[in-house]
Amino acid sequence: MQEHRRRRAAAPLLVGALVALALSAVFAGPAMASPAWKFNGEELKGTETILGGAQESGLSMWGMTTTCANFLYEVEISNKEGTGEGNVNSLPLFNCYTDTTCTVEAIEAESFPWHAELMSTGGNNYMKVKGVDVWILYGGWFCPVWGWWVHVTGSAGGIIDNETESATFGPSSFEATGAELEALGESVEWNGFFPSEGFQWHREESISVS
Amino acid sequence: MTRPAKFASAGVLLALAALAALALGGCGGGSSSSDSSSTSASATGANATAEAAEGGAGDGGPGSGGASAGAAGAAGEAGVNGSAASGGGSSSGGKHGPRVPQPKGAPEPKITPEQRREATVADMILKSPSVPPPSSGPAVLPAQYTCDGKNTSPALRWAGVPAGTKELALFAMNVQPVNGKLFFDWAVAGLDPELGEIEAGKLPEGTVVGRNSFGKNGYEICPQGSGETYMFALYALPQRLSPGRGFEPLAFRKAVSDVSHNAGLMALAYSRG
Repeated sequence: MQEHRRRRAAAPLLVGALVALALSAVFAGPAMASPAWKFNGEELKGTETILGGAQESGLSMWGMTTTCANFLYEVEISNKEGTGEGNVNSLPLFNCYTDTTCTVEAIEAESFPWHAELMSTGGNNYMKVKGVDVWILYGGWFCPVWGWWVHVTGSAGGIIDNETESATFGPSSFEATGAELEALGESVEWNGFFPSEGFQWHREESISVS
Repeated sequence: MTRPAKFASAGVLLALAALAALALGGCGGGSSSSDSSSTSASATGANATAEAAEGGAGDGGPGSGGASAGAAGAAGEAGVNGSAASGGGSSSGGKHGPRVPQPKGAPEPKITPEQRREATVADMILKSPSVPPPSSGPAVLPAQYTCDGKNTSPALRWAGVPAGTKELALFAMNVQPVNGKLFFDWAVAGLDPELGEIEAGKLPEGTVVGRNSFGKNGYEICPQGSGETYMFALYALPQRLSPGRGFEPLAFRKAVSDVSHNAGLMALAYSRG
């Protein structure tokens, strides 16, 4: 009789445990759907270095756009617990100019690595880069910021397109990722289309995020 | 009996050669038909690497120069891959999607220690209580501070003036040039650094106003088109420059820039309609 009571008392506990398990499985779902780096459709194991390169990518602030003919990034990527991440290790900039009378005397990206992470929102995949740190020195007799050393800092978010194997940075991808760049207290807009590819172990393989 | 054996060993050699060729192709070597393009791309990559390394050597920033050199060199090598693929390289699987565009020329120079010393740093804060804070982008200048209103100057407030500052100089300039030249809307010299602020439409005693690009000694904001962004720059001067009334702002700004390394900057936008 006592044994029977014990079993009856244990039944609700078992049901509760099963419900908790089911709920935890449901809530674990989104975490499992975190985007990961893939090459030829296979999830990346270990690390890989990818290169992204944009042509005519521009930073806009105070009604002035500073464009670089080539804008490269080198990112060491990996998947951590199923979610893609990376470190931007360099960002050389080539042939930079402005749409004003200002010239670009010098431009330098520093404080590497900049941590990058993949994220999904609104059915799209994004790469968000944190710790962006770029110094620009403007020149030009008729330049309103002649001799100014402008520091661009913050984060940048780009939408990933598997079809074109690229990341595109712009106002909508910044908004979706909550990214924000600023210089001298003003927000900075970064526009760029970066085709990307594996450079180390996965050359010539298609790169994707899902 | 010996002939088939020779043929057999020749066949093995051919098979090995084919395997070697495939392996080379897989490593980005490409087919022989793309050899010349690969070589030229490879040379460009090497140049980019060398130039990037050269650029990095001057700045003394540990790590950054080397990292740039890595990416620049990598871009060059990516070009090798791309050339092989576009030239009909026989890599297994083929390359899907785009390839990274190869940069032309050397990376932009890094900031030299001398440039760092001489550059103007925006470590002062310049704000306008006359302007509502923006949700994004430059704050919008209300019409009353333009030729569509009373055309009086907005109130300004500043902080962070470095110790030893003798006076402040203020400029308002169009960000976009007019007829290829910098357009001055306002130029003021002799501001007392202790003030911390100036009221809208007023200037304190002791200040000297320069001739703006409209040809007037005073303030005027009047965009030629539908809108414009204006840069207000406040410079801290470690010595008095004392220009006369109606001074020429471009020359005065040169004198200011030569002695000042601290400033505050504020961008304001104005659009008609």
